Amino acid sequence: MNSIIDDIRAAARQLLADGKVDVVIGYEKGSLPLKSTPCFVRSPQDADKLIWDETCENNLATYAAQTAGKKAIIAKGCDSRALMVLLQENQLVRDDLYIIGVSCPGVIDKNKIEAETGEIIEATITDGKVSVKGIACDKEYNFADVKDATCQTCRYPNPVIVDLKIGGSVEVPQSDFADVIALENKSDAERKAYFKEQMSKCIRCYACRNACPMCYCQECFVDCNAPKWLTGGVDSAENLLFQTGRALHLAGRCVECGACSRACPQGVDIRALSRKVNKDVKEMYNHESGISEDIKPALNVYSADDPEEFLVKE
Amino acid sequence: MKISKEKFGQSFDALTAEYQVVAPVSEAGAVNFKTAKSFSEVKQDYLNSKLPPKSLLFPQHEKLLSYVKEGKDITVKNELKVGKTVLFGIRPCDAKAMLLLDKVFKNDQYRDPYYFDRRDNTVIIGLACNKIAPTCFCSSMGISPACSEGSDLLLIDLGDSYNVEVITEKGKELLASLGELSELSAQEQALVDTVKSAQTTSKVDVSTITAKLDKMFDNSYWDTLHEKCLGCNACSFSCPTCHCFDISEEVIKSEGSRVRTWDACMAPLFTLHGSGHNPRDKKKSRWRQRMMHKFNYFVHNNGDIACVGCGRCIKGCPVNMDIRQAIDGVNKAEVVVD
Amino acid sequence: MEQNPYLPITMKLIKNMCETEDKLINTFTLQFQNKQDEENFKYMPGQFAELSAYGHGEAPFGIATSPTEPGIIKFSVAKVGCVSNALHLMEEGTMVGVRGPMGNYYPMEEFKGKNLVIIGGGFAFTTLRSMAVYMLDEKHRADYGDITVIYGARNPGLLLYKEELAEWETNPNINLVTTIDRPAEGWTKHVGFIPTITEQVAPSSVNTYAVVCGPPAMIKYTLPVLEKLGFPPERIYTSLEMRMKCGLGICGRCNIGPKYVCKDGPVFSMAQLKELPSEY
Repeated sequence: MNSIIDDIRAAARQLLADGKVDVVIGYEKGSLPLKSTPCFVRSPQDADKLIWDETCENNLATYAAQTAGKKAIIAKGCDSRALMVLLQENQLVRDDLYIIGVSCPGVIDKNKIEAETGEIIEATITDGKVSVKGIACDKEYNFADVKDATCQTCRYPNPVIVDLKIGGSVEVPQSDFADVIALENKSDAERKAYFKEQMSKCIRCYACRNACPMCYCQECFVDCNAPKWLTGGVDSAENLLFQTGRALHLAGRCVECGACSRACPQGVDIRALSRKVNKDVKEMYNHESGISEDIKPALNVYSADDPEEFLVKE
Repeated sequence: MKISKEKFGQSFDALTAEYQVVAPVSEAGAVNFKTAKSFSEVKQDYLNSKLPPKSLLFPQHEKLLSYVKEGKDITVKNELKVGKTVLFGIRPCDAKAMLLLDKVFKNDQYRDPYYFDRRDNTVIIGLACNKIAPTCFCSSMGISPACSEGSDLLLIDLGDSYNVEVITEKGKELLASLGELSELSAQEQALVDTVKSAQTTSKVDVSTITAKLDKMFDNSYWDTLHEKCLGCNACSFSCPTCHCFDISEEVIKSEGSRVRTWDACMAPLFTLHGSGHNPRDKKKSRWRQRMMHKFNYFVHNNGDIACVGCGRCIKGCPVNMDIRQAIDGVNKAEVVVD
Repeated sequence: MEQNPYLPITMKLIKNMCETEDKLINTFTLQFQNKQDEENFKYMPGQFAELSAYGHGEAPFGIATSPTEPGIIKFSVAKVGCVSNALHLMEEGTMVGVRGPMGNYYPMEEFKGKNLVIIGGGFAFTTLRSMAVYMLDEKHRADYGDITVIYGARNPGLLLYKEELAEWETNPNINLVTTIDRPAEGWTKHVGFIPTITEQVAPSSVNTYAVVCGPPAMIKYTLPVLEKLGFPPERIYTSLEMRMKCGLGICGRCNIGPKYVCKDGPVFSMAQLKELPSEY
């Protein structure tokens, strides 16, 4: 890890010193234990703020389009996939972007730890162990056990598009859609109860939407007042309408970074919806978003041999 | 003076007949303020609720009026409804926040009846903090873990019993229905003293922030402060003092209602004019507004800083925007004094 | 029982009239439905009200009538959003909701004994019309000195209250100057932007107040002209627009610094605005 940090800092320093980019978007140490925070480095001497570890959980691709000038971005596998889709959707100019790719060991699910230890007072990560001093109790975890759910099913921890690759690659974990299948196998009533509980927690703060690199609509359907798609009500039904609306809009676009779920201050299982959509997209179109420049977004291509009946054929 | 938890619990259960009793309850993995039917549901050892209790007085979604349209005619119905409420177990930071909300919902010209009819019918039983979270910084905001401001009665948890302090007349009246009080043991008195003298470990310096912000509207500090902010409402919605709201219409055919819902200064739509002009069109100006409103404008209008140091915005922020650091940044900013 | 400031009174839309040739501005005449409502709705020029188009929402508009015109109030509204669109399409006879009057007003007491120059651009002439009509009323005319109105629009068809303007042309109690941005067929009056025309025709600043309302660009370029003509900031007033919801200084969106435009405004002197951040 340490050599990766050194290499990230050196790369950032060089890019800024050479004037190749105006800003390097990366992570610095956060104000809370087990929390990093996005940072914008604009001078070579500030490059030493940059860090890299299992707390680098935000998807920095979210900042790419809203940051002016030429930018370098530290990209995990999922960040790089997001950048790829944004490039395909013409939201970014390739020449303004310098992708510093880093393979990702996965990020920590802080909520899972705090559910046991209470608010974390201090924590350290060494050699795959996470030692936590919590307000309720102290505990040591194997990193693998407190890895974010997204990372446990991640099939692209290694960046798919880079200008500079730092560090080695990590092993790609075996993954299927077992979590989705488990949900599919539940009865309607069970699934309904599950989503009802999850959605009852949503406060419609839109942290999920704003953290999502793919949610860049100038006017989100939830903010539209003519027509008004949904009310300001915060009951399970309205919240589910928002969350499903969002998940459907991300069909064939979601890069499974899990930024939405991690951003949620209420711990809503937002991924449950997007995972299901991703599984369907994979089965129907054999498509995974943002894994190659050659693969166009599933729902953005026209093909004369599309099996859908509504398609006009010769 | 103290009351045993057993006795208190019985009185609590009895109160539910006459009052809506709202208390910290564990639900879907989080502790929040909900209507409790019995004392056994109450989560007493919670640090602080995930969401602030402000929604009891100022719900996230509330009907102001309803109407029925018939041809060109309209019948409008006032949706103001009031019931008596006991709010049990709120922390001193949240109790103080209610005093701040009082100043918002009543100004030199208007009084908000939806808020105040609830407020005036609510008795607040505060519960001092035996444990202090690392993100708590109420001591810096003129409050403390056993501060009585805003509570009608203040309890301190002594294990099997509560130390009871009467703060207001309203509290005194309620106490009469709670049951017999008894003297504290020396050991219990010592615990009360410990809780009362406790301070948060996290601290900020707000001694000069208002005066400094007077001169900082055009400061370059705002150019970078906002940069990593995602512009969501997680901080505002979890803040016990944030109170901005939207008013909108919900209509089904000829029947409709006018509702108010929480809104926040972080949303670009918040200030967007019909013409398309937006006085706060940049994240920079919205973060400046957030800081200015809490630490400057609110002080000029109401004499208090609109932050109680509960730390919820710090914990809830997806990108670790930390208001303590933002305050610190103001303290460190260079100000050109003319 | 105390009044609930969120509850509108019900008024009848008795006239829905298109005001401009681009068909984007209509004037709505609303009639009070009982004496009590009218009694409670005591207002002054410069105040606004929240107008409800039930089923669509509520929005704030400046009151275009003067308190000297009993029984009704009028609003001239541009078609820009959900509520204004609904109002434009509304049939006469429909019941609407009105909350108000809200905000402060032009300092009519302070203006007493002074000359007034009223400068308006585009459809921001509504509360200026209210003020002019108020001062022209026989009960009030003697309280004020010379009244000059400088009113401009892009073209003649966009001027509001055309009949009234025609009447003012010949009224010795008021000096009306109208202007359009570019020459137009049949237009014999001034041609030019408001700041330029103001410089040409404004009365002496001695013992005179100026009240300016219009689009931001117009205000921006008119203020230096007034300054040059010798108007101190304390004697220049304007009325600001902001996105508003409650109109009561509570919902938190229309602030400029610590002041809420809905409650502490919308009328401000330039001297007051200089003390506030330029965030409007």
